[in-house]
Amino acid sequence: MSGGIGPASADLDLEVKLAVYRHFAATGTRPSADQIAGEVGADVAGVVEAYARLRAQRVLLLEADGASIRMAPPFSGVPTQHVVESGAVRYFANCAWDALGIPAALGMPATVRSRCEQSFESLRLDVGVDGPGRSDWVFHCLVPAARWWEDLVFT
Amino acid sequence: MLFFRSEARVIEWCSDRQVPVRPIVTIEQLWGLALAWYATRLAPESRRPQPGEMVKIFAGLGLSGEFWDPESRL
Repeated sequence: MSGGIGPASADLDLEVKLAVYRHFAATGTRPSADQIAGEVGADVAGVVEAYARLRAQRVLLLEADGASIRMAPPFSGVPTQHVVESGAVRYFANCAWDALGIPAALGMPATVRSRCEQSFESLRLDVGVDGPGRSDWVFHCLVPAARWWEDLVFT
Repeated sequence: MLFFRSEARVIEWCSDRQVPVRPIVTIEQLWGLALAWYATRLAPESRRPQPGEMVKIFAGLGLSGEFWDPESRL
Protein backbone atom coordinates (compact mmCIF):
# COMPACT_ATOMS: atom_id res chain seq x y z
CA MET A 1 0.00 0.00 0.00
CA SER A 2 1.36 3.42 -0.93
CA GLY A 3 -0.23 5.46 1.87
CA GLY A 4 -1.97 7.78 -0.56
CA ILE A 5 -5.34 9.27 0.30
CA GLY A 6 -7.39 7.88 -2.55
CA PRO A 7 -10.84 6.28 -2.27
CA ALA A 8 -9.35 2.90 -1.32
CA SER A 9 -7.39 4.48 1.52
CA ALA A 10 -10.45 6.38 2.69
CA ASP A 11 -12.46 3.17 2.74
CA LEU A 12 -9.76 1.36 4.71
CA ASP A 13 -9.43 4.26 7.12
CA LEU A 14 -13.15 4.13 7.86
CA GLU A 15 -13.06 0.35 8.34
CA VAL A 16 -10.07 0.66 10.65
CA LYS A 17 -11.64 3.48 12.64
CA LEU A 18 -14.88 1.56 13.12
CA ALA A 19 -13.03 -1.62 14.08
CA VAL A 20 -10.92 0.26 16.62
CA TYR A 21 -13.97 1.88 18.20
CA ARG A 22 -15.97 -1.36 18.20
CA HIS A 23 -13.10 -3.07 20.01
CA PHE A 24 -12.83 -0.35 22.64
CA ALA A 25 -16.60 -0.32 23.17
CA ALA A 26 -16.80 -4.09 23.54
CA THR A 27 -13.73 -4.67 25.70
CA GLY A 28 -12.57 -1.38 27.25
CA THR A 29 -9.07 -2.08 25.98
CA ARG A 30 -7.08 -1.02 22.96
CA PRO A 31 -6.80 -3.46 20.08
CA SER A 32 -3.48 -4.46 18.59
CA ALA A 33 -2.74 -3.69 14.96
CA ASP A 34 -2.79 -7.45 14.39
CA GLN A 35 -6.34 -7.66 15.72
CA ILE A 36 -7.53 -4.79 13.55
CA ALA A 37 -5.81 -6.30 10.50
CA GLY A 38 -7.72 -9.51 11.07
CA GLU A 39 -10.95 -7.61 11.61
CA VAL A 40 -10.77 -5.59 8.39
CA GLY A 41 -8.98 -8.13 6.19
CA ALA A 42 -5.86 -6.01 5.63
CA ASP A 43 -2.21 -6.56 6.42
CA VAL A 44 -0.65 -5.03 9.51
CA ALA A 45 1.42 -2.55 7.51
CA GLY A 46 -1.74 -1.26 5.87
CA VAL A 47 -3.41 -0.85 9.25
CA VAL A 48 -0.43 1.08 10.61
CA GLU A 49 -0.56 3.37 7.58
CA ALA A 50 -4.27 3.90 8.22
CA TYR A 51 -3.46 4.70 11.85
CA ALA A 52 -1.08 7.44 10.67
CA ARG A 53 -3.73 8.97 8.46
CA LEU A 54 -6.28 8.81 11.28
CA ARG A 55 -3.77 10.53 13.55
CA ALA A 56 -3.38 13.29 10.98
CA GLN A 57 -7.18 13.68 11.02
CA ARG A 58 -7.10 13.85 14.85
CA VAL A 59 -9.14 10.68 15.16
CA LEU A 60 -6.47 8.65 17.00
CA LEU A 61 -3.43 9.48 19.11
CA LEU A 62 -0.64 6.92 18.78
CA GLU A 63 2.26 5.81 20.93
CA ALA A 64 5.78 6.49 19.62
CA ASP A 65 5.84 3.13 17.84
CA GLY A 66 3.06 4.32 15.54
CA ALA A 67 1.27 0.99 15.96
CA SER A 68 -0.16 1.24 19.49
CA ILE A 69 -3.21 3.37 20.20
CA ARG A 70 -2.84 5.76 23.11
CA MET A 71 -6.20 7.45 22.61
CA ALA A 72 -9.28 6.85 20.53
CA PRO A 73 -11.23 9.61 22.22
CA PRO A 74 -13.12 9.24 24.51
CA PHE A 75 -11.39 5.90 25.15
CA SER A 76 -7.89 5.64 26.57
CA GLY A 77 -5.56 2.84 25.56
CA VAL A 78 -3.75 3.06 28.88
CA PRO A 79 -4.99 3.15 32.50
CA THR A 80 -5.92 6.58 33.86
CA GLN A 81 -7.54 8.04 36.98
CA HIS A 82 -10.84 8.36 35.10
CA VAL A 83 -12.60 4.99 35.27
CA VAL A 84 -15.97 4.33 33.69
CA GLU A 85 -18.02 1.19 34.27
CA SER A 86 -20.91 0.32 31.99
CA GLY A 87 -22.52 -3.07 31.78
CA ALA A 88 -19.79 -5.54 32.62
CA VAL A 89 -17.03 -3.50 31.00
CA ARG A 90 -14.49 -1.19 32.64
CA TYR A 91 -13.14 1.66 30.53
CA PHE A 92 -10.44 4.25 31.04
CA ALA A 93 -11.09 7.79 29.83
CA ASN A 94 -8.44 10.28 28.75
CA CYS A 95 -9.77 13.14 30.86
CA ALA A 96 -12.82 14.37 32.75
CA TRP A 97 -14.57 15.38 29.52
CA ASP A 98 -13.99 11.95 28.05
CA ALA A 99 -15.19 10.30 31.27
CA LEU A 100 -18.65 11.60 30.41
CA GLY A 101 -17.94 11.03 26.73
CA ILE A 102 -17.86 7.27 27.19
CA PRO A 103 -21.48 6.90 28.36
CA ALA A 104 -22.43 9.48 25.69
CA ALA A 105 -20.73 7.36 23.02
CA LEU A 106 -22.12 4.07 24.31
CA GLY A 107 -25.62 5.42 24.83
CA MET A 108 -25.73 3.40 28.02
CA PRO A 109 -25.84 4.13 31.74
CA ALA A 110 -22.46 4.18 33.42
CA THR A 111 -20.70 4.97 36.65
CA VAL A 112 -17.80 7.41 36.45
CA ARG A 113 -15.13 7.25 39.14
CA SER A 114 -12.42 9.87 39.37
CA ARG A 115 -11.09 12.38 41.89
CA CYS A 116 -10.68 16.03 42.74
CA GLU A 117 -7.24 16.92 41.47
CA GLN A 118 -6.60 19.29 44.39
CA SER A 119 -8.05 17.46 47.41
CA PHE A 120 -8.00 13.93 45.94
CA GLU A 121 -11.56 13.45 47.21
CA SER A 122 -13.16 10.58 45.34
CA LEU A 123 -15.82 11.26 42.75
CA ARG A 124 -18.58 8.82 41.91
CA LEU A 125 -20.97 10.06 39.29
CA ASP A 126 -23.86 7.90 38.09
CA VAL A 127 -24.71 8.73 34.49
CA GLY A 128 -28.01 7.69 32.94
CA VAL A 129 -28.85 7.71 29.27
CA ASP A 130 -30.10 11.26 29.78
CA GLY A 131 -26.99 12.37 31.61
CA PRO A 132 -25.68 12.60 35.14
CA GLY A 133 -27.73 13.52 38.13
CA ARG A 134 -27.25 16.88 39.79
CA SER A 135 -23.70 17.42 40.97
CA ASP A 136 -21.86 20.44 42.31
CA TRP A 137 -18.49 19.13 41.16
CA VAL A 138 -16.84 21.18 38.41
CA PHE A 139 -14.59 20.72 35.40
CA HIS A 140 -11.53 22.82 34.64
CA CYS A 141 -9.35 22.86 31.57
CA LEU A 142 -6.06 24.70 31.72
CA VAL A 143 -5.28 24.64 27.99
CA PRO A 144 -7.19 26.95 25.60
CA ALA A 145 -9.22 25.25 22.86
CA ALA A 146 -6.84 26.40 20.14
CA ARG A 147 -4.00 24.38 21.72
CA TRP A 148 -5.72 21.15 22.71
CA TRP A 149 -4.05 19.02 20.04
CA GLU A 150 -0.57 20.51 20.49
CA ASP A 151 -0.05 18.10 23.39
CA LEU A 152 -3.21 16.08 23.87
CA VAL A 153 -1.81 13.98 26.70
CA PHE A 154 -1.07 17.13 28.74
CA THR A 155 -4.39 18.70 27.79
CA MET B 1 -9.08 18.46 31.73
CA LEU B 2 -9.81 17.58 35.31
CA PHE B 3 -12.56 17.24 37.89
CA PHE B 4 -12.58 19.38 41.01
CA ARG B 5 -14.80 19.26 44.09
CA SER B 6 -15.52 23.00 43.83
CA GLU B 7 -14.39 26.25 42.26
CA ALA B 8 -12.39 26.93 45.44
CA ARG B 9 -10.35 23.77 44.84
CA VAL B 10 -9.71 24.91 41.24
CA ILE B 11 -8.38 28.24 42.50
CA GLU B 12 -6.12 26.50 45.02
CA TRP B 13 -4.80 24.12 42.36
CA CYS B 14 -4.04 26.95 39.95
CA SER B 15 -2.43 29.05 42.67
CA ASP B 16 -0.19 26.17 43.73
CA ARG B 17 1.04 25.88 40.13
CA GLN B 18 1.04 29.59 39.34
CA VAL B 19 -1.18 29.04 36.32
CA PRO B 20 -4.26 31.06 35.31
CA VAL B 21 -7.72 30.04 36.45
CA ARG B 22 -9.70 29.17 33.36
CA PRO B 23 -13.50 29.17 32.94
CA ILE B 24 -15.29 26.90 35.39
CA VAL B 25 -17.54 24.33 33.70
CA THR B 26 -20.45 22.70 35.48
CA ILE B 27 -21.20 18.98 35.23
CA GLU B 28 -24.36 19.84 33.29
CA GLN B 29 -22.29 21.79 30.75
CA LEU B 30 -19.74 18.99 30.62
CA TRP B 31 -22.47 16.50 29.70
CA GLY B 32 -23.44 18.84 26.86
CA LEU B 33 -19.85 18.81 25.64
CA ALA B 34 -19.69 15.02 25.93
CA LEU B 35 -22.85 14.61 23.87
CA ALA B 36 -21.71 17.09 21.23
CA TRP B 37 -18.35 15.39 20.78
CA TYR B 38 -19.14 11.76 21.29
CA ALA B 39 -22.83 10.83 20.94
CA THR B 40 -22.25 9.57 17.38
CA ARG B 41 -18.60 8.53 17.78
CA LEU B 42 -19.29 4.84 17.15
CA ALA B 43 -21.23 5.51 13.95
CA PRO B 44 -19.70 5.47 10.45
CA GLU B 45 -20.67 9.07 9.75
CA SER B 46 -19.06 10.34 12.93
CA ARG B 47 -16.59 13.20 12.64
CA ARG B 48 -15.03 15.73 14.94
CA PRO B 49 -16.68 19.16 15.06
CA GLN B 50 -14.96 21.71 12.85
CA PRO B 51 -13.80 25.04 14.35
CA GLY B 52 -16.95 26.97 13.41
CA GLU B 53 -19.11 24.18 14.80
CA MET B 54 -17.08 24.10 17.99
CA VAL B 55 -17.73 27.78 18.61
CA LYS B 56 -21.48 27.24 18.18
CA ILE B 57 -21.47 24.22 20.48
CA PHE B 58 -19.57 26.11 23.16
CA ALA B 59 -21.80 29.18 22.84
CA GLY B 60 -24.92 27.00 23.09
CA LEU B 61 -23.65 25.77 26.44
CA GLY B 62 -22.82 29.26 27.66
CA LEU B 63 -19.10 28.89 27.00
CA SER B 64 -17.82 31.86 25.06
CA GLY B 65 -14.75 34.04 24.84
CA GLU B 66 -11.24 33.63 23.53
CA PHE B 67 -10.49 30.59 25.66
CA TRP B 68 -13.14 28.58 23.81
CA ASP B 69 -12.21 29.84 20.33
CA PRO B 70 -10.31 27.06 18.52
CA GLU B 71 -8.79 29.62 16.18
CA SER B 72 -7.68 32.15 18.77
CA ARG B 73 -4.03 32.91 19.47
CA LEU B 74 -4.51 32.72 23.24
